[in-house]
Amino acid sequence: MKLYRRMKAGSWIVLALLSCFGLAARAQTPAPSAPAAVAPAPVAPAMAQPLDTKAAAPPSSDDLVKGDPGGTMTGTVSDVVVSDSKKGLTLADTVNQVGQNRIAINFVWTLVTGFLVMFMQAGFAIVETGLCRAKNANHTMMMNFMVYGFGLFAYWVCGFAIQMGGVGGVSTLGGAAPLNAETSITVFGKSWGLFGTHGFFLTQGGTYDVAVMVLFLFQMVFMDTALTIVTGAAAERWKYVAFATSSIFMGALTYPLFGNWAWGGGWLATLGSNYGLGHGYADFAGSGVVHAVGGITALALSMILGPRLGKYNRDGSPNAIPGHDIMIVLTGCFILAFGWFGFNPGSTLAASGNGALRIGSIAVNTMLAGCTGSFGAILYMWMRYGKPDASMTGNGLLAGLVAITAPSGFVNTVGAAIIGLIAGVLVCLSVEFFDRVARIDDPVGAISVHGTNGIWGVISVGLFADGKSNYGGSWNGVNGSVQGLFYGGGGGQLVAQLIGVVTLVGIIFTISYVANFVIDFFIGQRVRPEDELAGLDIPEMGALCYPDFVLKPDQGARGVAAD
Amino acid sequence: MKLVGILVVLAGWLVAVVGLGITQSTGARLLLAILGFVICLVGILGVLNKAHMKNAVWKA
Repeated sequence: MKLYRRMKAGSWIVLALLSCFGLAARAQTPAPSAPAAVAPAPVAPAMAQPLDTKAAAPPSSDDLVKGDPGGTMTGTVSDVVVSDSKKGLTLADTVNQVGQNRIAINFVWTLVTGFLVMFMQAGFAIVETGLCRAKNANHTMMMNFMVYGFGLFAYWVCGFAIQMGGVGGVSTLGGAAPLNAETSITVFGKSWGLFGTHGFFLTQGGTYDVAVMVLFLFQMVFMDTALTIVTGAAAERWKYVAFATSSIFMGALTYPLFGNWAWGGGWLATLGSNYGLGHGYADFAGSGVVHAVGGITALALSMILGPRLGKYNRDGSPNAIPGHDIMIVLTGCFILAFGWFGFNPGSTLAASGNGALRIGSIAVNTMLAGCTGSFGAILYMWMRYGKPDASMTGNGLLAGLVAITAPSGFVNTVGAAIIGLIAGVLVCLSVEFFDRVARIDDPVGAISVHGTNGIWGVISVGLFADGKSNYGGSWNGVNGSVQGLFYGGGGGQLVAQLIGVVTLVGIIFTISYVANFVIDFFIGQRVRPEDELAGLDIPEMGALCYPDFVLKPDQGARGVAAD
Repeated sequence: MKLVGILVVLAGWLVAVVGLGITQSTGARLLLAILGFVICLVGILGVLNKAHMKNAVWKA
């Protein structure tokens, strides 16, 4: 009995296939009395023939009534869906069930990892709020809270259609075939995809489709991650109505455009097939698409907003404005690190087929790079300033995770560890550069964590991709595996990555800057100085985050604002 | 100056992209992409940011 139970799942399929071949062989043998007759199509009758399921020996109703504490009698041949109950189980039913099971596994995987990414919003919210002063806590939390709604709405209306409306089908999700309309132009004799046009309101163009819904959910939470990066850099001085307008624009246009070029079948994705540059721009989970787009928009906005009052003295020297709660900052970093296991492994959009079992490798790469990122930052701060700074160590963890996001599906663990370590040091150098040299105020370090390290992550694909990954045999329509310069792949992949980087700092920066400049002209981006000094909780939101606490008189006003 | 900064940024992107059409050499495309990246950074940090710094709040 035990042997039967161990074998029954596999043996049932084998028996079914054997019986199918038997039926097929009989069907191909012409009847002796009619030698000239054309044999019937061998496969179709076999597929439709009832199968002998006795060998599968499903548990009897008597057995089932006793319960199944060991779980060996649940999920047997009795649970395979039968299309015609009179006929009984056929091979066609079995094959359809196998196909649906594969897609179901991929649906569940993609949805659950999408839910993890959605939870990252909570991590971002408390990291950013903790790094700001208590007097702005309600304002900062409410930006992070509502960016989810503003972004989702804009993405549903048009962002998703622009980004994925021409992706041309996602095989791991069973097709998503209605997403087949990409607007292109011809440049240098090659077709350049610019934006998709199917999927507005998730109904237009036949996109009321189960696979499209799964893809939408997963892409939507990624888009929202990019949007919430900006709120950190602009915190403590951003007018709420300007934030709402800017976020809707970014969710509707800026993010989807680059998303289309990289992931929606656009011109960056086809740099490989069009110009022989490796596999084209390869960004596995979005160091560029998500993080650099967010970081670069944050840079454009921070320049327009200007620094917080009291951040710089008249001679240009910076003042440190510490956050109010390091505990929630580090808790938020942990939440983000947890959510990243949805971000990177989930980007396979599959757990079954097409090389998707690489999810284990992707998860370990993610874990390692976050770890070495925090190592890099803590070592840098300890050696340079004599203390293991908590907020920069948290930023180091995030920098490592940001950097590994693009290469996570293409590199090995040694590559991941190196990429993360470099990111941890790079985030410290970048924060110092923007703070002291460029004098661009970024309260949470978002430009450095997401912008600088997003770019580093994109470039690192062209260096560290080891050529061992194989997602269904090709990536971006080019056969073989993505291979970087250090693993014998030549410079083509690196060039494709750099074209992507230049597009981020050239086109995405320009769109973000012009859009926010226009918003500044019509609405005004920055709050009034007196509101900024008082804290934005009352003037902007009408309520304090911590009404029972006594806030200290403004200490950030050392310098100019104290006058 | 802000407009000049934006134009420099766009010029950087054009330099990198034009490399795709004018040469087949990976090395030349690599050089043009790096050059384009540097031009973009000069446009953002050297020109545009400098223009914003002119009227910075802390200089008042």
